[in-house]
Amino acid sequence: MNTSLSRRRLLSTLGRAIAGVATFSAARVAKAAVQKGFVSSQAPKNYDPTKHRWQMVFDVDKCIGCGHCVDACKTENNVPRDQSHFRTWIERYIIKKPAPGSDSPRGEVLVDSPNGGMNGFPDNLVPREEILKSFFVPKLCNLCEHSPCVQACPVGATFDSPDGAVLVDPNYCIGCGFCVQACPYGCRFINPDTRTAEKCTLCYHRITRGLKPACVEVCPTEARIFGDLKNPVPDDPIQAFIQKNKVFTLKPHLGTEPRVLYANLDKEVR
Amino acid sequence: MRRFKLPPQILRLVLLTIAIVASYSIARAWLTPASFHEYGWYRGDAIRELASRTPQYAGRKACAECHDDEVHKLAKGEHKTIGCESCHSAGQAHADNPDIKLPKPSDKDCMGCHQLLAGRPKFLKQITLKDHYTGHRCVECHVPHQPSEVP
Repeated sequence: MNTSLSRRRLLSTLGRAIAGVATFSAARVAKAAVQKGFVSSQAPKNYDPTKHRWQMVFDVDKCIGCGHCVDACKTENNVPRDQSHFRTWIERYIIKKPAPGSDSPRGEVLVDSPNGGMNGFPDNLVPREEILKSFFVPKLCNLCEHSPCVQACPVGATFDSPDGAVLVDPNYCIGCGFCVQACPYGCRFINPDTRTAEKCTLCYHRITRGLKPACVEVCPTEARIFGDLKNPVPDDPIQAFIQKNKVFTLKPHLGTEPRVLYANLDKEVR
Repeated sequence: MRRFKLPPQILRLVLLTIAIVASYSIARAWLTPASFHEYGWYRGDAIRELASRTPQYAGRKACAECHDDEVHKLAKGEHKTIGCESCHSAGQAHADNPDIKLPKPSDKDCMGCHQLLAGRPKFLKQITLKDHYTGHRCVECHVPHQPSEVP
């Protein structure tokens, strides 16, 4: 075998090396260009979700059904202002007196939520003398530990954030609507403008800035209590409230383990 | 001895498999966002993108920066639990630029809570407009920031 370096051999080796380097750098440039075009983001880097654990509690007895929360949520999150898209809404339960001669302790249960309760409720739905009791129940995403919506998403667009919020990545969502069907609490919808799934994010852009969610901010009676379990403030309203009250979740039999708690809930509430 | 030769149809299959696996690996390496496995099987940047939107409601602290006196008055009365923006509507634009005025609350805002309604808890004072000094505005008799006082 000829070990001496001929001119021809030297030139061809050099040429190959240059071609290799050129290919690699071209591939890197191409990769960077593809990533810039398809998968990059200008997301800020100043919030660490592993250092928080958000919690929402409702005091059903305090809700007066004013609808400020629904209106604030729509304003804050650009939710379509129609009758069928809500991130949070208020339901009114009216439990009628039992029919005369009936041995049941309570009569028919009516639930209404005209326009999500945003513009108030009609007073003449049931005559006053027929009502056994009536109360308002605010609803929003129940922040399940085992979220059916996350399991149903075929593209990994919806996820449980480490801080407890269940979020939707609008860039990944294909708008298939499986999560809308999967949510047993009816908390999701497809936004008709963006054609992607939308839901309560706990006003993620607010809570990460140290503000309260818009619905909590405007609630006039403190029926909505919001806090961070990992960074409790000295007189933390959440801890104190859970200590003082018996709290319950919606639809516990489904095993979704909601982290949104309700105090003073009636058994008729679904 | 005859040299072993891969049958051409098998060779094509092997080459095709290599091509598929290679193009998958390249696509995966190129198209997976950098933040994808940061917290789990989703884009970590999605969290930060959602967090980067701008609020519409400024919050009570922002109101107190200029309207300290009103906030103090409010804190003494029965309306102390009500946030400013509950009646005065979203105020981030006003907080950024005080020349942008917020709409004045009207009687309709009072009645949003104080209208007599089935379902409203008893602790809340409720009226029906036709039985309660018809023809007068609420603020003629009531001070919203100090509801127990009379003007």
